[in-house]
Amino acid sequence: MSSGKRWRPLFRLPRFGRRAIARDLEHQLDDELSFHIRMREERLTQLGLSPDDARADAVARFGDHERIRAECLAIDQQYAREVTIMDWLESIGADVRFALRTLRRAPAFTVIAALTLALGVGATTAIFTLVNGILLRPLPYAHSEQLVRLIQSFPEKGLEWWPLSQPNAVGYQRDVTDFTHFAAYYPQGVTLTGDGAPERLMALHVTGDFFTTLGVPPAVGRVVVDSEVTKASAPVAILGYGFWQSHFAGNTSVVGKMVDLDGTPTRVIGVMPRGFSFWRPDVPVFLPFRADPTKRFGWYLGGVGRLKPGVSLAHAERQATVSMWNWARANSTLLWPKPLNPETTHMRAILTPLQGVVTGSVKRPLLVLQGAVVLLLLIAIANIATLVSSRAAARTSEIAVRTALGASARRVARQLITESLVVAAIGGVVGITFGVLAVRAFGAWSENDLPRIREVGVDWRVLAFALVLSVASGVLFGLAPALRMARNRRLADDLAGTQKASARRATRRLNNAMIVTQIALSLVLLVSAGLLIKSFRRLVQTDLGFEPRGVLTMSVPLPMKKYMDRQAAAPAMEAIVERVRHLPSVRSVAAATNLPYNGINSDGFIVEGREPPPSAGAETQVIQLAATPGYFNVLRIPMRYGRDFASTDRDGTLPVVIVDEAFVRPFWKGHEALGKRMHFSGDTTWLTIVGVVGTVRDQDAAQEGLPHAYTPYAQEPGTQPRLAITTSAGGGGNVAAVLAEVRRAVAELEPGAPIADVRVLSDAVGQALANRRMTEVLLASFALIALLLAVVGIYGVTNLYVTSRTREFGIRIAVGAEPSRVIRLVLREGLVLAIAGVTIGAVGALFATRWLESLLYEVSPTDPAIFTGLSLALLLAAVLSCYRPARRAASADPLSALRAD
Amino acid sequence: MADAEVDLLRSSLDLLILKALSWAPMHGYAISEWIDDATRSVLLVEEGTLYPALHRLERRGWIASEWGVSDNNRKAKFYSMTPAGRARLRAESRVWQRNADAIAAVLRRTPS
Repeated sequence: MSSGKRWRPLFRLPRFGRRAIARDLEHQLDDELSFHIRMREERLTQLGLSPDDARADAVARFGDHERIRAECLAIDQQYAREVTIMDWLESIGADVRFALRTLRRAPAFTVIAALTLALGVGATTAIFTLVNGILLRPLPYAHSEQLVRLIQSFPEKGLEWWPLSQPNAVGYQRDVTDFTHFAAYYPQGVTLTGDGAPERLMALHVTGDFFTTLGVPPAVGRVVVDSEVTKASAPVAILGYGFWQSHFAGNTSVVGKMVDLDGTPTRVIGVMPRGFSFWRPDVPVFLPFRADPTKRFGWYLGGVGRLKPGVSLAHAERQATVSMWNWARANSTLLWPKPLNPETTHMRAILTPLQGVVTGSVKRPLLVLQGAVVLLLLIAIANIATLVSSRAAARTSEIAVRTALGASARRVARQLITESLVVAAIGGVVGITFGVLAVRAFGAWSENDLPRIREVGVDWRVLAFALVLSVASGVLFGLAPALRMARNRRLADDLAGTQKASARRATRRLNNAMIVTQIALSLVLLVSAGLLIKSFRRLVQTDLGFEPRGVLTMSVPLPMKKYMDRQAAAPAMEAIVERVRHLPSVRSVAAATNLPYNGINSDGFIVEGREPPPSAGAETQVIQLAATPGYFNVLRIPMRYGRDFASTDRDGTLPVVIVDEAFVRPFWKGHEALGKRMHFSGDTTWLTIVGVVGTVRDQDAAQEGLPHAYTPYAQEPGTQPRLAITTSAGGGGNVAAVLAEVRRAVAELEPGAPIADVRVLSDAVGQALANRRMTEVLLASFALIALLLAVVGIYGVTNLYVTSRTREFGIRIAVGAEPSRVIRLVLREGLVLAIAGVTIGAVGALFATRWLESLLYEVSPTDPAIFTGLSLALLLAAVLSCYRPARRAASADPLSALRAD
Repeated sequence: MADAEVDLLRSSLDLLILKALSWAPMHGYAISEWIDDATRSVLLVEEGTLYPALHRLERRGWIASEWGVSDNNRKAKFYSMTPAGRARLRAESRVWQRNADAIAAVLRRTPS
């Protein structure tokens, strides 16, 4: 076969209007038409006309020859085209049927190859869909690329992440001309009262420009614009879609209705569309408010702005920082004892693209998974390559026979590629189905843990990618053996099944390279997964400093109107706690303004006699919360020194505080803290330290957080206390029963107070680890699949090696070699490959796992136990998978081996 | 010619061709003679218009064609009817008959 010929297209597409066909059609048509005219002419001559007249008359009776000819030709050409396509489809169909028959004769090969590809394609489809839907697709707001989150930072005050005050929000809206719109917002629950029991709703309070900033129109009714939201304007509410569905059955007549929120009649003016989400998915209600420039205290707002087109983030950030400094200079006594010095104070505004804010927490895990899935795909492809080449080697005689019987080389090559495409198609379809199902299952599983997961759908780009991937691998794996077949064409050799040694060596080199690649990539995945698993175990075993198991928590927001005077809330709450304590299924109970994994409130503080020299800068923040006596007992936070709060710590008695060891550490040794005094920045009352408790990790198990200072609830009450309850039965099995009792008790004492946000504390702790768990589980499954594929690959290649050398082994045994020697020989072959793969893989893993570092907790990315342990495990797996082929080699029968010649 | 007339001609021509071929395979010239005879030269004003109709019918699978030799020993394209064509002829004839009856009835009606 000449090299020029080899590249003729294997699948000639039907070429429409090909000249030869066209010419043929025209000839036939002209013959047909002229036959008619000639016949008419003859008939007329018979009737007695002169030949000339007969001719003229025949042509005239025929009509417009040109038009008729053109019309017929158009019909014929259309017809020819359809016939060609049908023929072509039929020939493909025949090829596919033949391929299916061939593949049915090799079910093991077909199933393993298709399944391998399906795993690769499926995992790729799933992860790429997540990456595409969560990270890449623009957020569902108008021109979402222009949206930025605004937050402040004041590192010298220990505030790396400083929310906005209302005057700040007013300032940014006024001063930052790079924004076309700016809005501030804060979440704050409200109590809905009406027909049934009071109900607690999470509400997002937003300034008037919020909806204009996001540029999302309501589904029903209207939203507000900035100018109509004033201090005096009647309160209005815009509902979220889910809440509208659940509470108003999606009825549009809700617009104009009044609802009672925190005892304030509020008019519903609109409903946001389905899928609208900001801050969290499915916020039930948005309440517009006007930011008050005179409200000097309180930093709890988030900011969102829309950049003017073409404006840089950095420029807008500078404008915002200038605005902030103008405010800070006018209010410096609020923040700092001395005049602020811009040289030494790094107070500034920080703008972040909203997309990054929304997806920030999952970006790294998703990218790691994407990397892993690419490795998995490469392993799958390497695996199929070995399978295909082994099969091709085994088929040389079959193909030689077919060629000898008259099949052209082109024909055979086309057949090989069709076969491989059929396998790829099966694998691709199964894989894409896997992927789509996995994404669905995943969406249901992690609905509350992954941002934007509700928006994620399999889109055409990912599907197209998966399809191209499958088809490309199909062509590739068909083409390789086809080409080799074309190159290595010695009929006699082929018939005898004795390839040229050089060709055999080439096959083996390719197979060995593929195996080494697979082992190396598998090790990278295994080590990555191992590190994450170890890190996750560490994290789960971390001592949080409190015991979340068996603790039921809920919030009991007291009616705002009734408790405008916060001091009045203290006796009310004490009464509730007292009543709940005596419920039959309750063992212990305490109330606090915040609970672990449920919001924080932080403030600066000053320790008496240790005021930081004003120039020194660095202040730290302390988490402040008020609790009733028994709080430390309920959460099993150890009391190190001093005493718990007592019922005698009340309004009017000595103001006291209990701090944790993290608080004490920089100032005193343990017990020395007792009797010392401190005060919070926001309140100059001196508080006497009466106790020291253990430090808790109440926000993130992976981090030792800020120090804590606890005040007695009776001296520092809040209107939205939470209850922490341990049940007498111990576990959380009878949550519903406890809840019913508590609900009844609270309803008797405080009919306007709902019970909301019920959680089992250990679930809340687990929830906070959900992202890490997801990464760990997925990566571990990828690593296991990789391991499986690698083992199958080694097995296949060793098997082939043994088959191709059966005669040699037979002879060795015939001349007296011990079978165990033969076994060792084969095992050594596998071991050499495995060692090469593991070595390369270990080096690769050293590079790859650096990328994981930010996901690891108390595990080094080069953790030696993981590296050596998994390398050895992989070596062992490799050697074990060689064992069966080795046994087969050792039992090679010398006689039959010789007879094979 | 008005469009309606063309449509009518075309559909009646199709029917006539099928009818002609229902007797025996014929070449185009023979079909035109047959139609001329049968309709007393009313329908086929231009003989050539027969051919697009033949080619269209062939494409629809109602008739098939084959090159053969004519009575006077010339190469000629013979058309024959397919089973699908036969079914078509039956259905079309029924429709024609019904329509013709209906129209005839209307025309017979006297204004009252």
